[in-house]
Amino acid sequence: MKVIDDVLVRTEHLSKVYPDGNVNALCDVNVEIRRGEYVAIMGPSGSGKSTLLSMLGALDRPTSGEVYFEGERLSSMPSLDRFRSEKIGFVFQSFYLLPTLTALENVQIPMFESNRPVKERAAKAKELLASVGMSHRLHHLPSKLSVGERQRVAIARSLANDPVLLFGDEPTGNLDTKTAELILGLFAKLHDESGVTLVVVTHSDEVAARAERVIHIRDGQVVEDSHISTATTKIA
Amino acid sequence: MWFSTFLLKNLLRRKTRTLLTSCGVAVAVGTTIALLGLSESFENGTLSALEKRGIDIVIVERGVLDQLSSDLQENAVDYVAALPGVSKVEPALVELMGYTDPNTGNTINVLLQGWRTDSFQFAEFEIIEGRPLQEGDDKAILLGVTLAENVKKHAGDTFVLNEEELEVVGVFESFSTFESGGAIMPLKGLQAMSFREGSVTGFPVILEHGPGAPTVAEVAEQINQLKDNEGRSLNLLARPSREYTQEAMHIKMAHAMALMTSLIAVFVGGIGMLNTMIMSVVERVREISILRAIGWRKSRVVAMILGESLILSAVGGVLGAIGAVVLVSLLTKLPTVAGFMTGRIAPQVIFEGFLLALAVGMIGGLFPAYRAAQLMPSEGLRSE
Repeated sequence: MKVIDDVLVRTEHLSKVYPDGNVNALCDVNVEIRRGEYVAIMGPSGSGKSTLLSMLGALDRPTSGEVYFEGERLSSMPSLDRFRSEKIGFVFQSFYLLPTLTALENVQIPMFESNRPVKERAAKAKELLASVGMSHRLHHLPSKLSVGERQRVAIARSLANDPVLLFGDEPTGNLDTKTAELILGLFAKLHDESGVTLVVVTHSDEVAARAERVIHIRDGQVVEDSHISTATTKIA
Repeated sequence: MWFSTFLLKNLLRRKTRTLLTSCGVAVAVGTTIALLGLSESFENGTLSALEKRGIDIVIVERGVLDQLSSDLQENAVDYVAALPGVSKVEPALVELMGYTDPNTGNTINVLLQGWRTDSFQFAEFEIIEGRPLQEGDDKAILLGVTLAENVKKHAGDTFVLNEEELEVVGVFESFSTFESGGAIMPLKGLQAMSFREGSVTGFPVILEHGPGAPTVAEVAEQINQLKDNEGRSLNLLARPSREYTQEAMHIKMAHAMALMTSLIAVFVGGIGMLNTMIMSVVERVREISILRAIGWRKSRVVAMILGESLILSAVGGVLGAIGAVVLVSLLTKLPTVAGFMTGRIAPQVIFEGFLLALAVGMIGGLFPAYRAAQLMPSEGLRSE
């Protein structure tokens, strides 16, 4: 049965073991992320935070446990591709823009999965690039853009299909402090103005400080779940 | 941006590899078009020589593989001529002899036909130099224009074949490439030169056409049943012209060799395409993972890889077709080839070659596309 409440995504006894290294990347993780929240996931390298993000974003299958999105099990969805296309946006540390495409073309790539006609795709991409302050660089290749500009294009791309949930995997990891501030400002604007739910994996205290809630993860387990404006919940 | 624009940009990322792969397909397709085109041209050349003269039936010896091996009594022509429905029938002797150029020492094969000097088959010739063959011209020869150019002979020259000195009485042009590339001798003269007096290799037959005339099949059946005055079978095998051409051993062999060589070329082209597309997928594991992560369905990844592979093969197909047309046109001008086939390739063969190129692209791209579609979105991202 589909349960509709303000919980957007939640996990139930989520575990992930990578067979190649026999690594317990996640171990019995139970988290809930509510609609409109701005959540940071923190932890040392190898703690399992990116794996958790992969599971929440349907990029990988858990070894056991379940992820629910708007009350529906991801494992019972007919198409996870469609789910990712319609509901999820991703911003990566290394941007992952396609090198032979201009900024305008890169933003249109996710839209091939929508029914938008060609002209509409281009118009939407222009609008998104304008929203991240990149109107003046529409026809530049990634190699001609600064790293901050590349990440702005990547953010515009992540918003191409109007996602309800946006994941950032170390989105400021490759940026200098000033550019990182700019990108974090964009995230904050998105969250405040569009109501997009944001889940950001980060090492950075500065990034985490922008979030409403910080989930600390270590050795594949959630060790602390703290709401910035409320009390911290320590998990035994 | 169109999806096709995206595919083109992907291919142009590796310009050298794209060009080399397309060239590989072009060689495969070009070889196929050239060989199949030539073998078809070979068949059409033979058929046109018969059909343009209105020849309905060709008679050869029963049980032989080729007209060159056929050996029939010349007097069988009288039995055939007496059959109802037969309008004209001529004895004909075909021989293949080597001509050695006294200056260069090069030897070329000359297709020699021995006809009676009053044969209806001369009607389609244009004598462009000298005169036609006449009664009593036993040691004379009429050269086809292509052969005359290759051996640099004119009317009045001497032409030595089988150590026999023949007088070139004229040069003719025929609509048939075969005939223009060969030579005609009086039947008696060729029989004497090849030690086959009273023997021929076949009979072309023209039937009466009109109300009440027997059909080609009916006359052919009657010819096949013919016996001499002593009741012995004449051992004749009569076939309609088209069937005769298609069943001719040298034409079947040309088709078979063209097909086998083409299949090998296509196999090699397909392996090249497979290699390129697998490399392309392996190099782009992360990129494909990203595309899957941002919502691309497996089917779109398949469409991307297959689309790229089909574009490569289509480009190869066009290059191959152009190459084949140019190559065949040049090759058929060579003295050793000029008399046997035309440099024209039928549009249908080019179209089939292009379809073959697309098939190579489809086959070469299918497995890499499947591999790419099986990639989990997280696979290329985990190594970050």
